[in-house]
Amino acid sequence: MNLRDELKEAIRHRSLAMTIEEAEKLAGYVGRMPTPLELHLFDTMWSEHCSYKSSRSVLKLLPTHATGVVVGPGEDAGIVKFTDHDGFSWDLVVAHESHNHPSQVLPVEGAATGIGGIVRDVYCMGARVTGSLDLLRFGDPLGNSGEKSRAICRGVVEGIWKYGNALGVPNLGGDTRFHKGYDDNCLVNVVALGFVRHDRIVHSFVPVEAHEEQYVLILVGKPTDDTGFGGATFASTDLEDESEKGAVQVADPFLKRVLSEANLNVLDYLFDREIKFGFKDLGAGGIACVTSELAAHGNLGIKVNLDLVPVSIPELPSEVIACAETQERYGLAVPRRISAEVLEIYNEKYEMPRLFPGAGATVIGTFTAEPFYRVLHRGEEVANTPIEYITEGIVYKRNWEPSPVPVIEPDSRPCNPPLDLKRMLLSIDGVSRSPVWSYYDSEVQGNTHFRPGEADACVIVPIPGCRAGLSVSGDGNPWIGELDPFLAGAHAVGEAVRNVVATGATPIAATDCLNYGNPEKADVFWQFRRGVEGIAAACMDLGLESEDPLPIVSGNVSFYNQSSKGGSIPPSPIVAVFGRINDFTKSTDISLKAPGNLIIMAGDRKDELGGSLYYRTCIGHRGGRVPAFRGKLEREMARFVLECCEAGISRAVHDISEGGMILAAAEMAIASRPDARRGIVFDTEAMDPVVLYSETPGYLIEMSQESWDAIENKPEFLSVAGRVTDEFCIAASRWRMDLREILEDHANRLDRIIWREEVTE
Amino acid sequence: MKSAPLVVVIQFPGSNCEYETSRAVQNSGMDSCIYRWNQWQELKDSLPDAYVLPGGFSFQDRVRAGAVAAKEKIMDLVFSEAAGGKPVLGICNGAQILVESGMVPGWERGRIESALAANHISGRSGYLSRWIFLHVAAKARKICPWLGRTGTGILPLPIAHAEGRFVFSEENRYRASNSAALKYCDEKGTETSDYPANPNGSFLNLAGIMNDRGNVLAMMPHPERAYWLWQLPPYLPGEWGDRRDQSLHSGSYASTKGPGSLFFTSLADYFRGER
Repeated sequence: MNLRDELKEAIRHRSLAMTIEEAEKLAGYVGRMPTPLELHLFDTMWSEHCSYKSSRSVLKLLPTHATGVVVGPGEDAGIVKFTDHDGFSWDLVVAHESHNHPSQVLPVEGAATGIGGIVRDVYCMGARVTGSLDLLRFGDPLGNSGEKSRAICRGVVEGIWKYGNALGVPNLGGDTRFHKGYDDNCLVNVVALGFVRHDRIVHSFVPVEAHEEQYVLILVGKPTDDTGFGGATFASTDLEDESEKGAVQVADPFLKRVLSEANLNVLDYLFDREIKFGFKDLGAGGIACVTSELAAHGNLGIKVNLDLVPVSIPELPSEVIACAETQERYGLAVPRRISAEVLEIYNEKYEMPRLFPGAGATVIGTFTAEPFYRVLHRGEEVANTPIEYITEGIVYKRNWEPSPVPVIEPDSRPCNPPLDLKRMLLSIDGVSRSPVWSYYDSEVQGNTHFRPGEADACVIVPIPGCRAGLSVSGDGNPWIGELDPFLAGAHAVGEAVRNVVATGATPIAATDCLNYGNPEKADVFWQFRRGVEGIAAACMDLGLESEDPLPIVSGNVSFYNQSSKGGSIPPSPIVAVFGRINDFTKSTDISLKAPGNLIIMAGDRKDELGGSLYYRTCIGHRGGRVPAFRGKLEREMARFVLECCEAGISRAVHDISEGGMILAAAEMAIASRPDARRGIVFDTEAMDPVVLYSETPGYLIEMSQESWDAIENKPEFLSVAGRVTDEFCIAASRWRMDLREILEDHANRLDRIIWREEVTE
Repeated sequence: MKSAPLVVVIQFPGSNCEYETSRAVQNSGMDSCIYRWNQWQELKDSLPDAYVLPGGFSFQDRVRAGAVAAKEKIMDLVFSEAAGGKPVLGICNGAQILVESGMVPGWERGRIESALAANHISGRSGYLSRWIFLHVAAKARKICPWLGRTGTGILPLPIAHAEGRFVFSEENRYRASNSAALKYCDEKGTETSDYPANPNGSFLNLAGIMNDRGNVLAMMPHPERAYWLWQLPPYLPGEWGDRRDQSLHSGSYASTKGPGSLFFTSLADYFRGER
């Protein structure tokens, strides 16, 4: 057999995702038929998931630099400056990933390992993880595949609570949306955030000191097994059938919690002694990736001995030990002279081998001056390749072809405010998400100020004794996505920014996860490109902290989200925005406070109801004219809201998005205290869907008449929309909707549909 | 002589509320330090005045929540200290450990009389996070060092657990009611076994139980998460909701204590009275 045939056979036999051309490139690098380990290692490194080979050229459009950015995209997590307190500078660490395919196949495990992976990315920068968010997209629970979609939703929520709650990381919300486009391919995007002292940031490469002194590689955590073998490849191909369950990892939050405590102890030990080190979590590609990347990014080689790797299954092949994605593991590069002390912390102080059979810390490799990646196993050399090739990456130029959706608007737009509001509030998109949040621990660590649902974004007070608050929200609207991929990207940023601003926080960073179908299809790649352009455009306008754009500091691309029939998901750019409020006591929730106060509206309503909740639920039409993105106006409105908050005059703030002004008002009323119910009477007499239901971005702000009167030079985008009453109603002169009628249904309908399977209406 | 009482927080493998619990102790004018499960000797040598077992998932909730931790050597020390009268508080997973060790209700030495079973009520099961209301039993206020200052009002606190349903055998109904320290009620203070006032189906609406002497308290709600007023949700009805709203614009919002602080300041008062 010639080499090409031998490579083809290996690709087939090993179910590799790489092309024959890529395999030949690899063979050229090593100058022979690659070993199985080399094939699997490069298959992972060159996968879409790890290499961004399709997306990299487009991602360059995103703004990543701004004042305050400490670490941009490229390492495991992004870092921005947060605040100074008590003589130390504190930085915010953020990461954003998808775990879509694993969650579709095994919802509980997939969602759990999604959190597991993302928190490791933040931990390994030296941070304490202080929050996580889940951005979930499921199929239509009442549609043709409803039974399956409901089961996946239940499983994902279970995976999140079973893992996240045990880990002791508060869940800071996110969002849950349903769309039939996700019937065969759910989305589970996860965000983690944490805080690190600026002088204690850890990097994921062996330090320059390793050129002078012998450094070793310590592997710590769970014993290696065969789970997740081929995971990155799995994430980078079509979800053809659901037989690939072996590629899903198994998570263990208990071990992770102990490991995290031990890690912090080890990191402190090393920092206190001023010992330089490198630290990286094991994710895609397992031991092979972590060892080669730690070495390559420090311009060294490494020799790894797989015989030293603790395994929980005997007789595993070399490539499985090296490339399996067993969870709860880290790699640590330290000088040989202190390795015994480090091992003692893990193995004696924290008793890892006693707590979990086979767990613990072991030296498995030594860094070398020769720039080669060498792996030994059972007396044989199972990999030997120049190390620079491993991290060199690979880039493809994909074709794209515009495929805009024709704008079709409905012929008539009947308007019956009480009925329309009721329909929207009780629609699957409009009902309360509290049944989901009720499974999540949002208060562990004791820092939580606003839990999910209380304000437009969750707010935590992460540094004890310091008043700086962190506000975070994640958004992305599939209904906009299917109509206009550019606006989907722009509004994902816009909505998340508004949510953070509504709490009184100034956005300081953003992350994105770009979920699309097959990038080899020209129309899908166009959707992707337009989404990135939309995000970039919005970020250029919405840097509110300085004249710089809002920086994207971390993110992920997830392609091949489609069904076996080839239908792609709606273009789904999902964006998380992180904001800082210098004094958290000034932050605002959405609950109406005092009767008599005014409701001020920022942002005039426009006739752009395409994809709106009103169109979908009240007239059964998706429309076509999507709200435009008006960056300059968004920026000015945000500035105004922040000024009101700083001045202490806003009593409640809620952004206008799905369901328009009327739904925003109802949500503010529903959030009021049960023993002090409030409502809103609008001034408008118009029975006009544009006025009441348009999703043109904006805000509703509660403030007193005196505060309103005292505002000089009122910007043009402001108007008085109505006032707060002590009746639990949303009303105008010609109509009135009593919210008591729907309160119970609004709170519990999601529970009844998803968990109690009460689907016959 | 020590300046302030020392309250130690024990970190089991899988604990996850140890830091905020320790801060709650310190913010109440006492010293606190966290010891790992295997620091038996160091813990003993530090001569603690009181013990807290924090929330979390000790030993992965293997067997049953709290069951493995209850058998750890360090618990022998807590057991004998409790027998000598030292105050012990178990919160959430800590409560599960106290139940599994037999320290509460502690009617007979070493005998397990109660269990914390999986939540189940009104067709809902699994983990539940929500704010509940409870009141403190009159007898408990008198004899329990953690409850002296809690008063007769209704206290809102958050719960976050999957296994928090106190279970006793029916024949022990009377005895169990004597061990009641904290009982779930609705926002107006009325006791009911209906969800959500009783959030998990707990026997006799029990949210916390104590031993006969009152020095050992096992509670499912998390007082450390309601230590400050700013930790309370904006929608909270009743007296504590009023206090929160009033303090919002008073300038003292960041530093005004909430209902959960009462458990810790009660202990500080107890030590002051004793010395």
